[in-house]
Amino acid sequence: MNTEPIYKLEKINKSFSGVKVLNNVDLKLFKGEVHCLMGENGAGKSTLIKIISGSYTADNGTIYYQDNQYNAYSPRWAHNHGINAIYQEIDLVPHLSVAENISLGSEPTTKMKSIDKKAVRQKAINVFADMGIQIDVNEEVGKLTVAVQQLVAIARALSFNSKILILDEPTSVFTNKEIDLLFHLINKLKSQDIAILYISHHIEEIFKIGDRITILRDGNLIRTGMIHEFDKDSLIRAMVGRDVHISRKTSKEINAEEILKVVGLTRRGAVSDISFNLYKGEILGIGGLVGAGRTEMGRLIMGADKIEKGQIFYKGKQTKIKSPNNALKMGIGIVPEDRKGEGIIAERSVIENMAYSAIVKEEKRSIVPWKKIKEEVLQRFKSLNVQPQRPDKSIKLLSGGNQQKAVLGKILNADCDVLILDEPTRGVDVGAREEIYRVIQDFKNNGKSIIMISSDLIELISQSDRILVMAKGKIAGEIAGEEATEEKVLSLAFNFGGAEIVS
Amino acid sequence: MNKNLSVNMKDLLKLIGVLLILISFAAILSKGVFLRPINLFNITIQNLILMIAALGQLLIIISGGIDLSVGSIVGFSGVLFVLLQDMTEPLTYIIALMVVIIIGGISGVLVTCVKLPSFVVTMAMSYIVFSLAKIIGGGASVYTGISGGEISATVLSLYKSHFLGLPYALIIAVLCIIGVSLYFRTSMGHFIYTIGGNEKTALLSGVPVVRVRISAYILAAILASIAGIMFVGRVGLGDPQAGDLLTLDSIAAVTVGGASLSGGVGTVAGTVMGVLILGVLNNILNMLNVSPSIQPAVKGIIILLAVYLNSRKNRS
Amino acid sequence: MCRNHSLKTFREGFNKYSILIVLSIIILYALFFVPHFASRINLMAIMFQYSIIAFLALGQMLVVLTGGIDLSQGSLVALTSIIAAVAMSHFGLVPALLLAVIGCTLLGITSGTLVAYTKMPPFIITLGMLGIGRGLAKFIANAKPVPIQDPFFRSLGRKVIFGIPLSVILLLIVCVVLVWFLRNRRLGRYIYAVGSNEESARLSGINTKKVKLFAYSMSALLTSIGGLVWAARLGSGSPIGGANYEMESIAAVIVGGGSLSGGKGSVTGTIAGVLLFGVINSILNLSGISPFWQGAIKGVFILLAVAASQIHSKKNVSMERWAENE
Repeated sequence: MNTEPIYKLEKINKSFSGVKVLNNVDLKLFKGEVHCLMGENGAGKSTLIKIISGSYTADNGTIYYQDNQYNAYSPRWAHNHGINAIYQEIDLVPHLSVAENISLGSEPTTKMKSIDKKAVRQKAINVFADMGIQIDVNEEVGKLTVAVQQLVAIARALSFNSKILILDEPTSVFTNKEIDLLFHLINKLKSQDIAILYISHHIEEIFKIGDRITILRDGNLIRTGMIHEFDKDSLIRAMVGRDVHISRKTSKEINAEEILKVVGLTRRGAVSDISFNLYKGEILGIGGLVGAGRTEMGRLIMGADKIEKGQIFYKGKQTKIKSPNNALKMGIGIVPEDRKGEGIIAERSVIENMAYSAIVKEEKRSIVPWKKIKEEVLQRFKSLNVQPQRPDKSIKLLSGGNQQKAVLGKILNADCDVLILDEPTRGVDVGAREEIYRVIQDFKNNGKSIIMISSDLIELISQSDRILVMAKGKIAGEIAGEEATEEKVLSLAFNFGGAEIVS
Repeated sequence: MNKNLSVNMKDLLKLIGVLLILISFAAILSKGVFLRPINLFNITIQNLILMIAALGQLLIIISGGIDLSVGSIVGFSGVLFVLLQDMTEPLTYIIALMVVIIIGGISGVLVTCVKLPSFVVTMAMSYIVFSLAKIIGGGASVYTGISGGEISATVLSLYKSHFLGLPYALIIAVLCIIGVSLYFRTSMGHFIYTIGGNEKTALLSGVPVVRVRISAYILAAILASIAGIMFVGRVGLGDPQAGDLLTLDSIAAVTVGGASLSGGVGTVAGTVMGVLILGVLNNILNMLNVSPSIQPAVKGIIILLAVYLNSRKNRS
Repeated sequence: MCRNHSLKTFREGFNKYSILIVLSIIILYALFFVPHFASRINLMAIMFQYSIIAFLALGQMLVVLTGGIDLSQGSLVALTSIIAAVAMSHFGLVPALLLAVIGCTLLGITSGTLVAYTKMPPFIITLGMLGIGRGLAKFIANAKPVPIQDPFFRSLGRKVIFGIPLSVILLLIVCVVLVWFLRNRRLGRYIYAVGSNEESARLSGINTKKVKLFAYSMSALLTSIGGLVWAARLGSGSPIGGANYEMESIAAVIVGGGSLSGGKGSVTGTIAGVLLFGVINSILNLSGISPFWQGAIKGVFILLAVAASQIHSKKNVSMERWAENE
C-alpha cells in the first residue's frame, strides 16, 4: 500500500440545528484499499460520506485531495473529479436503458452530433465486461431488480474513471450470489487502484472484504486500524464503546395482563411470522438493524399496510385493524420514524399539528369541540415543554427535538392504551431526549403499554422491560430486560441467518 | 385554533388591500360612479355562480388535487334540473342531488382508492359528464321538463325576488360561503387541510383519509350543482355549456386567493376575495374601454403575478 | 371497496403495446362492421380533422415527458390562425406564416422560461398563457374571424398528394423527425431523463432548465403548425377557435401511455391515442349513435388507460421489493 493517502479529511465538524453530528473526525483513504466505515445508526457515517461526496458542507475542517486543499466542494465537482457515491436510494433514470444511464450526460456522439448509439452500447458493454458481469444493456433500468440497479450504478461510477468510490450499504438488497459478484468486483477495483469507502452493518462482510476499519460513535472517531487488529467482539465493543454500566429504570412489576397479542404476522417483502405478546404497563423494545422489518411491523399493527397472514388480538379479542384511523379509535397510536415525511405537516402550526389525533377521537361529533381540544393541546404543549413557547408558529421552524415532542404530544392527546414509538429520539438533542424518556416512563407507569422500536442500544436497554430483536423480517430472539446488554442485542441482530454469508 | 385553521390574517389583509386598491382605482377612473351601491351590487351578483363553483374548487385544491370537472357538472346539473321539472318540486332537488353525489363520489373513489391522479380523473369525468348533459338534453339548451313541465317559479325568481332587500341568489351564495366555512370547522373538513398538507402524516395520525377525500369530492360536486341551478335561475334554461369558463376561472380565483396547487393551503375568505378581485378587475377593464377581447390576457397576467408573488413568499 | 383486485384482469392485456392492440381491434371492427367507415370520404375526414390535434398532441407529449403540462395550446391555435390571417393580407404568404409560427413560439418560450426559472407550477403558468394567447388573438382580430384570401394557402388545406392529405404528410414527417430526435439526439434523451428523475439528470451534468425551456418552446412550435393547418382548412383565422384542444391533446397523450408525472410517453403511442379518439368518433357518427356519447366514451378510455398503467407500475414496485427473497 502507498504511504501517501489519495484523500484526507482533517478535523471535520458538522452540526445540524445545534446537534453535533461529527466532532473532529479524521479519515485517510489510500489507493487500492477497501476502507470500512463502521458505527451504530446515528454515529455520523452518512453525514461523513455526504461531506466526501459534496452533498453536505462541513462546518469546519480541511479536505486534502489531489495535492489541493479544500473546505468544501459541490456534488458536481466531486463527480467530475472522480469521487462517486452510490447510496441505497439509487440515483439512476428509471425510464432510460442501462446503456443510456451509463453514458448519461456524457454521451459519445457522431459527427452529426447525434448520439452514437453503438458507442453508447459498446461503452456499457465494455464497462460490464471489465466488471465481469453479463447484463442486457438495452433493458430499461426501472425494470431491473434493485440489486442489479445497484450494479449499474457502480458501473456508471466506474465509467467516469472514479478514483474514490463510496458504497453505502450496498448489500442490503443483495442475494448471496449477488454479494459474491459484488465482492469479486470490489477486488477487481482494488487492483485498479481505486479507493473504496465501504459502509455496512454486516460484520462478516467487513472481515471478508475490508483492509482497514474506521469506527465512529456519536460523531467521534473511535479508532482506525488494520482489519487484522480486530475480531468480531472487539469490533462490536468499539462500536458500542461504553464500559459504563447502563442504569436501567427500575420499574413496577409488570402487570401480567396481556393487552396485545400478535400471531404469525406476515407481509411479503416486509416481515414474516412475527409473534409476540405485549402486557399492560410494559415497554417492549424492538432492536435490530435498519431494514430488519421493524418499521414495517409497526405499520402492519397500525393497519397502515395490509396484513397478508396472521392475527392480532387486542384486549383479549381477535381484531381486524383496517386503517390507522381504526387503530387510533381502538386506542393504538404511532410515532413514526420519518418525522418530516410522516410525523408532521410542515406548513401548519405546532398546535394544529398536535391536535390531529385528538380531533380523530372526536370525529363522531358533528361540530368539533375546538375549545376543549385547544385547551388540552395547550396543556400538553406546556407539560412537554416544547420550545419556543409559540404554539402558533409553523412546526417546521422548530428543532428536531421539539418537533418530536410535538408529534409525541399529538398521539398522547388521543388517549391511547398502546403506543408504537419508532425511533423516538432519532435526531433529538440530549435535553429533549431526557424529557421524552420521562414521558414514556410516565405513560407506562399509568399501566399503559409501549412498543419501542429503536436502533439506539442504550435507549433500548435502559428503557425497555423486554427486548425483541428482529433480523431479516423475522424475530431473531428475545432478551429479558435485566439481562440485556449491547453485545447480546447486536450479536442477535448481526448473526441471525448471517452465517450463510460467511460460509 | 380557528386562527390557525383559517389564516394567516396577513395574507387575507393583503388580498383585501389589493381589492381596495382596485376599487379606489376604479372609483377615481369612473369619477365615483363605480362606488354607487348599484354598481358594487351588480358586480357581486354577476359573480355569484363563480363564487359557489370556486368554493368547491377550493375544497379539492386544499386536498392536494384539482377539479377540472366543475364546469361540466354546472352545465349538466342545470340541464338535468330543467328536465326534471315535471315532477314535484322536492323530488327534483333530491334526484338532482343524488346524481351529483354519485358523480362526485366516483371521482373521489378513483382518486382515493384506485390512486389515479386527480387531474386525469376529473378531466375524464368532465368529458363524461359533459357528454351526459348532451345525451339527456339532446345536445342543446333545454327550456322545459321532459313532458313539458315549466321551470319552477322559485328557481326562476332566484335573481329577481328579494328577501330583506337581497336577492335569493345572493343569500344562497352567502349560505354556501358560511356552509363551507363551517365545514372546515368540522373534523372532516379540517382534515382536508391535513391530507393536503401531508397525506402520510395524516394517515398515521389516524385521519380517515379515504372518507375525507371522497367527502370533499362529493361536496365539490354538490356546490357545482348548486351553481348549475343558479344558472338556470339566471337565464331561464339549462345549457350543457353553461360552465365552460367556470373550471379555469374557479382555479384562477382560488389561486389568486392564496391557495397553493400543491395542497394544504387556502381559505374561504381568500377565495371570496379572489372571486371579487377578478370581478372588479373585469369591471375596470370594461370601464377603461379595454376591448373585452384583451381581457383574457389581462386575467392571465394577473394570475401569473399572484402566483409568482406567492411562490416567492414561500421560498424565503 | 378499495381493492385493486377487480382491476387485476386488465393487467394481462395492458402492456407497452396495449394502445396499439386496442386501436387495431377497433379499426378492424370498424372496417368490417361499420358501413361507410372504409369509404374514402370518411377516412379523409378523419385524417383532415385529427391531424390538427396530432400536432398539438406531439407537442403536449414533449411537455408531459418532462413532467409538465401545457394548457395554452388551444388558444395558441387561435392566435396562430389570426396572426397568419391578418399578416397575409398585409405582407404576403411566406412572411405571414413565419410571423405566425414565431409569434406563437415566443409565447411558448415565455412559458418555458417561467417553468424553468421560477418555482411556479406549469399548470398555472400555462393557464395564464392560455388567457394571454386568447386575449392577444381576440385583440389582433378585433374579436372577429378574419378571412384568408390567399387562394394558394387555402388550397393547401385541401391538398391531397397520392391520396393522402398534405397535412398528414407533414405530420408524418414531423413524427419521423421527432422519433429520430427523441432516440438519437442528446436533448431528446434528456427530455426523458428530466421527467424521469430530475435530480439525477441534474447531477449528471444535464442543463435541466434548458431541456424544459426546449420542451415548452417545441410544444408551441408544433401547436403553431397545427394552427396553420387549421387555418388553411378553415380558410380563415378565428379568435375563438381551438377551445379545449389542449384537453384533447392531453387526453391523447395519456391514453397513448404518457404519464403526467413525467418520463413516459412515445410518439407512436400519442399518435395512436389521437387516432383512437378519431376512429371512435367516426364509428359513433356512422353507426347512428348520438355523437353526444363521444365525450363519455373518451372519458372512460382515459380512466381505463390510466388505471391500467397505474396497476402496471405497481406490479413492478412489488417485484422490486421481492427481489431479495425470491
